[in-house]
This record gives sequence, C-alpha cells and structure tokens, in this order.
Amino acid sequence: MLVLSRKQNEKIRIGSDIIITILGVSENQVKIGIDAPSDVKILREEIFENIKKHTVEASLMSKEIKSSDLSKLSINKLNKPKSD
Amino acid sequence: MKLKTHQFGEIEFDESIIVEFESGILGFDEHKKFIVISEEDGIFYWLTSVDEPELVFPLFPMKVILENYPEVAEFEVFGIVKLQKNPKDITLNMKAPIYLNQNTKKGFQKIIDNDEFTIDYKLFIEN
Repeated sequence: MLVLSRKQNEKIRIGSDIIITILGVSENQVKIGIDAPSDVKILREEIFENIKKHTVEASLMSKEIKSSDLSKLSINKLNKPKSD
Repeated sequence: MKLKTHQFGEIEFDESIIVEFESGILGFDEHKKFIVISEEDGIFYWLTSVDEPELVFPLFPMKVILENYPEVAEFEVFGIVKLQKNPKDITLNMKAPIYLNQNTKKGFQKIIDNDEFTIDYKLFIEN
C-alpha cells in the first residue's frame, strides 16, 4: 500500500482523471472529495462488501430452493417516499 | 444453444436472446452473458449465466414495489431476490438493481447509495 500524508485542501491524483481532495479533517473523521469519470464506481467499502455478500447468497439460495409456495402471501409494496 | 439449468432442466434457446453485462454483476465480474428465463405463471425472472448455468439470480420488477424507483431510459429495472426455505423470509435487494434492455440486449447493475433502500427488503407479507 502506498501511504501519503496530505493536509486539508491538498489533492492526490490517480491516473489522469481521478482526483482525491482532502476537504476536512476532524478528530475521528476525514472528509474526502472525489472527482472521477462517471463510469468509475465509487462506493463506501462496507456497502460494497454487503452487496457482494447478499448477491453471493442470492445465487446460492437459488440453487438450493426449487420452488416456493407463495399462495398465502402478497407483495409487500413500498409507499411513495414522503418527499413526493 | 442448449443449457442445463437447475430450475428448468435442459432448455434450448436462440443466441439472439443473450443479454450482455459488460461490467458484470458485483462479485461475479467475470460473467458477462446471461439469459432471462420467465415462467408463464411465475413471478420471478431468472437471470441465468450462459457460461455457468448454475449461476442464477432470481429477479423481481422494482416498479411493482415502488412506482418511482430510480429509472434509466429504455431499461427495465429489477432487484435481485434472495430465496428462503420459508417464503415469508424472501428478501429483495433494493440497493443494487439490475437494469435490462431487452431490445439492445444490454444489462448493467447500478448501486443506489441511498439509506432509504435496503439490501434485505422483505418481499412478501402474509395475507
């Protein structure tokens, strides 16, 4: 791993089109700005790992379960968000 | 082309129905080619890898859950379903939807980093 020290408002460039800016530092948190092309996926690591785990489990369960009796169930629809 | 599937036995299909996922699906980046199998009276669509038919993701249309779920023009949007022994426990991933265009045969996955959408949304409620 490459380790660099940066101060507030200083930047790091990755490749030709990704720029990381240190926007602010507090006691236990760093605020980071990222400029990158729109096709670059940027995710907080724990969300990435969660989704990956869920996707792997979904593929395993689809092997295990052949058919489900859904007759006594109805779809749990979500109401429109309040912001509408 | 023929595929041996777990859910439907051996199926035969025309290669023209293959949907291409250029960027793959999170955790399965190496799988680029899928077909979508639907049953006449089923509620799920089965996204099945052509290279490894053991790899199947049950899909459910997001618009049924939420009419104003984030859209991408000309693409239909689905969530990956995690099946369970007790169907009441079946969950839907609302955070990492699959977008499919059946005309251009393109598909991709998007991550919606929004706390409103969970990865384990309960798909069913008891009548």
